[in-house]
Amino acid sequence: MSVMKLSMGPQHPITGHFRFILDVDGDLVLKLEPDIGYTHRGIEKLAEKRTYLQNLPVIERVNSYCDSAGTMLGYLEAIEELMGLEVPERAKYLRVIAAELNRIASHLYAACLFSVATGLETMLMWPINDRELVLDLLEKLTGQRITYTYQTIGGVRFDMPEGFKEEALKRLDYLEKRTEDYYKMLLWNHTFHMRTKKVGILKPSDAIKLGVVGPNLRASGVKVDVRKDEPYEVYDKFDFSIPTGKNGDSYDRLEVRFKEVEQSINILRQALKDIPKGPIKKWAPPIVPKGEAYTRVEAARGEFGYYIVADGTMKPYRLKMSPPSFRNLIALPHLCKNVPLGDIPVIYISLDLIPMDVDR
Amino acid sequence: MLEKIRKSFMNIKLLRKVFNWGRAWSLWSVHLETGCCGPEDMARACARFDTERFGTLPFPTLRECDLIFVTGFVTKKMAKRLKLTYEQMPEPKYVIAIGHCAISGGLWWDSYSVVQGVDEILPVDVYVPGCPPRPEAWIQGIRMLQEKIAKEGLKK
Repeated sequence: MSVMKLSMGPQHPITGHFRFILDVDGDLVLKLEPDIGYTHRGIEKLAEKRTYLQNLPVIERVNSYCDSAGTMLGYLEAIEELMGLEVPERAKYLRVIAAELNRIASHLYAACLFSVATGLETMLMWPINDRELVLDLLEKLTGQRITYTYQTIGGVRFDMPEGFKEEALKRLDYLEKRTEDYYKMLLWNHTFHMRTKKVGILKPSDAIKLGVVGPNLRASGVKVDVRKDEPYEVYDKFDFSIPTGKNGDSYDRLEVRFKEVEQSINILRQALKDIPKGPIKKWAPPIVPKGEAYTRVEAARGEFGYYIVADGTMKPYRLKMSPPSFRNLIALPHLCKNVPLGDIPVIYISLDLIPMDVDR
Repeated sequence: MLEKIRKSFMNIKLLRKVFNWGRAWSLWSVHLETGCCGPEDMARACARFDTERFGTLPFPTLRECDLIFVTGFVTKKMAKRLKLTYEQMPEPKYVIAIGHCAISGGLWWDSYSVVQGVDEILPVDVYVPGCPPRPEAWIQGIRMLQEKIAKEGLKK
């Protein structure tokens, strides 16, 4: 049999900004090689030209797809660690509220893409409509739908608007009820099982060896979550569990995300109940003292690491990011060996990769 | 001969109007995401905003599409692909530039790998500002393009 080279993407309904170079033998994919760099903007270099405050919108657009609030936290943590700045308690809670709402939006978006990959169009429309409800809340809180620049150095920019709490609780109740419908429609669907179960199995040992992070790692059965292991902001005050999968296949990777939505709702309820009164921002000097800092946070797609080298000026000397999608991408060529061509979209979407995150 | 018939048909004002009406209300858009306005592309196409009401259906095959949304920044690597996609689309074809990055480079004005405005490589019909623009703004962009098509045809 002859091996043929096949190019998939970037103009493809599934791949987004990626191109895959596939070695196919008939319908069997022997090797997958991701061609990245279609969305490379050079953020790490640009960050050196801008001041710490000007960097906020730039950093946010690393993962502006769905999870800008969760992504930004790590950068702010690193700067605040260098400054030795203690953020007011209310600001910490507001940051967590924005990040968790964003996590729900992100996971619902992942579910939409998953249903497109498996050809179940109804589940494309349902979660995206419910995602709008979450985005409405975020718009009320921050003033934008996707890119917020809500959290700044030393706190947050706006306080919670009037009536936000009641509205949020109402919508969270609705979302919780709605997840049952998702289970009925998608996760307990026989067709869906056939497409996703035992497809792209990632063993726990392989996952750790490859350095996979986030929900993908947890789906393989490894209980790792930065929110629990190394609590930042106020995550140590909340009572929540870390959902894990059993088999580490595509199905588990989506199920873990749905369970995480439930946990996020849980966290949000506690946060909205416990939020203290007080100031929302502390003044921060524009100059960051000399030093180095590494922080990691749990963004929606996994662990996001920031390494900042400050040289005592208004601009960072070096900013290195370790985004989750880049680390999850390494698992893709590993999973796509000797699989049918039809399974490639399912495996790719199940990892929930964001090309902009990979390229930066 | 066929060309002659076509031209004589197009000289009838009413018929031209009908053609343009058909064109304007079935602008199928090609799926090529270039930047971060991608999730809004999905939001405007799906349940709440539903641009299919205005005839804009996202479609995977570019051979049947007439509209391309340039969603956000265009890197130099993507620019080649964007041009290739545009060239493969059948006539008549229209371009809507979405977001500041597609209009003028936006936030990436000093980046070494981002094309400073998509009009350097493609003829743009409508510009929609925002970072990212709300789905309502996308709909306004589509409506503006429809009006443009209707006017454009009558002049010919």
